Amino acid sequence: MNFPSVAVLGIGMWQVGFPSAKAWLGGIADATAQKPAGNALDRVNRRRAGQLCRSLADAAAEAMTMAAVDPSLAPTIVGSAIGEAATMIGLLDQMWRRHEPMSPAEFTVSVHNAASGLISICNKNRGMTTSLAADSDTPAAALMEGIGMVLAHGVPVCVACGDEPAPENLAGQAPPWSMLASAIVIGPVDHTPRLGEFTIALGPSPTLRPTAFDALAVANPQIGLAWLIDAVLRGQSGRVPLDAGLGRGYVADLHCLPR
Amino acid sequence: MASTTRLRPVPITGYSVLSALGGDRREHLEMLAAGRTGLGPCPLPLPFPTAVGAVKTPLPELTGALAPWSTRLTRMIAHLAQGLDEPLRRAHQRWRPERIGVLMGTSTAGAESTEHAYKAFVATGGFPERYDFLKQHTFGAPLHVVAELCNARGPRWMVSTACTSGAKPLASAWRLINAGVIDAAIVGGVDTLCTMTLHGFESLQALDRAPCRPFFKDRLGISIGEGGALLLLERDGDGRVVLESVGETSDAYHISAPHPDGAGAEAAMRQALQFAGRSADDIDHVNAHGTGTKLNDTAEAKAIARVFQQPIPVVSTKCYTGHTLAAAGAIECVFAAMAIEEGWIPPAIGAEPLDADVKLHVPAQRTVGRFQRVLSNSFAFGGNNVSVLVGAP
Repeated sequence: MNFPSVAVLGIGMWQVGFPSAKAWLGGIADATAQKPAGNALDRVNRRRAGQLCRSLADAAAEAMTMAAVDPSLAPTIVGSAIGEAATMIGLLDQMWRRHEPMSPAEFTVSVHNAASGLISICNKNRGMTTSLAADSDTPAAALMEGIGMVLAHGVPVCVACGDEPAPENLAGQAPPWSMLASAIVIGPVDHTPRLGEFTIALGPSPTLRPTAFDALAVANPQIGLAWLIDAVLRGQSGRVPLDAGLGRGYVADLHCLPR
Repeated sequence: MASTTRLRPVPITGYSVLSALGGDRREHLEMLAAGRTGLGPCPLPLPFPTAVGAVKTPLPELTGALAPWSTRLTRMIAHLAQGLDEPLRRAHQRWRPERIGVLMGTSTAGAESTEHAYKAFVATGGFPERYDFLKQHTFGAPLHVVAELCNARGPRWMVSTACTSGAKPLASAWRLINAGVIDAAIVGGVDTLCTMTLHGFESLQALDRAPCRPFFKDRLGISIGEGGALLLLERDGDGRVVLESVGETSDAYHISAPHPDGAGAEAAMRQALQFAGRSADDIDHVNAHGTGTKLNDTAEAKAIARVFQQPIPVVSTKCYTGHTLAAAGAIECVFAAMAIEEGWIPPAIGAEPLDADVKLHVPAQRTVGRFQRVLSNSFAFGGNNVSVLVGAP
């Protein structure tokens, strides 16, 4: 499998204590940043949005601002392993525990593409958006889908991946992890300015293993994209793992440009 | 979005299909030709009446190492994989497994299994012993099953964009094959009937009590269905049908309601035409999204009428299968392929008399003709729009 290289144009991140990639690079946790604000969403849609959607929207907005791309034009790809599972469990509770009629508003945001839909609405983006999943390979899959878009259409593409913890009632059915959302804007390899370039491969051993993330973040199926963004933030070139050992072994071969 | 280079058409070298109409191509053709719906009573216990398109075809069990992944969804996939056996065998003679991708779509994933398990949890405080969230619920779990059954080791992911999920993987595969990243892809969509989904559409007052009647003047809503389709796309091959292009747009309007004028739907159709270098005059038939709701059908009809100045036959096959949600885009792409291969399209059951706002040619009779190029529309929550253009080689 040979994936052509693409350029890195911008990055964004949300994790507990660090509401942006910039904050993460700063290294000092903000104790008040326990839940994503969803500032990238308008008031009406922020009310509709769950925590996952808010974190993805904020990470994507940070990446698109850094890349100086028009959010109303950039195709947006959202990856999440379990998506809105918490919303779904809430709906099952409505039906079977509380014996209430189902909330139509909750039902409409129970779909996996709730985040990509709300992001496109708030950005007034009438172009391509999609939402996908591949368990621990979700970051690699979302990047591959993004690279396919860049190669086909020659435009910058925003790739955002995130997962919130599995619903409390499913404790024991899934390993615990903390909320994590990351975003990267990629473009044609000759795009200027750019932060670096990368390509994706399956199988080779990683040469970079970022260590700054805590165990609950590393357990999140989306840690691979956060690792890639961490390496870009620090200007580290090398082979970045795109999963924490539970995926198929995709890596990103990253070359950062001097800044 | 302008395309810098025109992507090549990709042959569709095989397909399998499963729905309320049957378990293979022949059964589907018989029902469609006869104008017989597969819609009927719902097998799930519900506190309200509604017709659904339930799969009646016996499904194989997953055994051996795949047994822990066994759900209704993956059993449907196993049935579909069996139906793709012959073209896959030929593909494996030409392409390495590492160059065959699995690009699928689902909206429910294993929700049907989680519903059963969670009902037990509410009643007893514990999940059934054989329930496994990671192997049975997640969107990624069925990918493992497809990859194992089909010996496909290339890139794999599950698109989940609600009711466009089964159409969007065609776009992903079209791009990756053109980029030279893979040589072939197993694409498609699959969804099962779920209590939660039915309650959800009921909460939106979007369900018809009787079998749905897309474009009918007094239509009352959707009939939900289940099923799936797998299509084999190859870099080159002897497909009787090719995937010419896919248009993908967003409404940027509302999370669940379509843009009232169908602006995003129109843009998706125009994009598919542009990407293929075709004009509206080149299209012989539209397989409409046509869910049977007031809003969707009116918006889509306006969009189609703006794109096609000359009336062409428009049929929504959801009156046969129900709205199979994430499977719809894949199943209806197969129906579009069948129209090209067979030279006829099925009658639009129950569409007459048409809504006065539907200024389209919606034939009530089976239409025989030369169908060279067909557009298949799929629209979804999130304002997601896809239009797939398939044609004769």
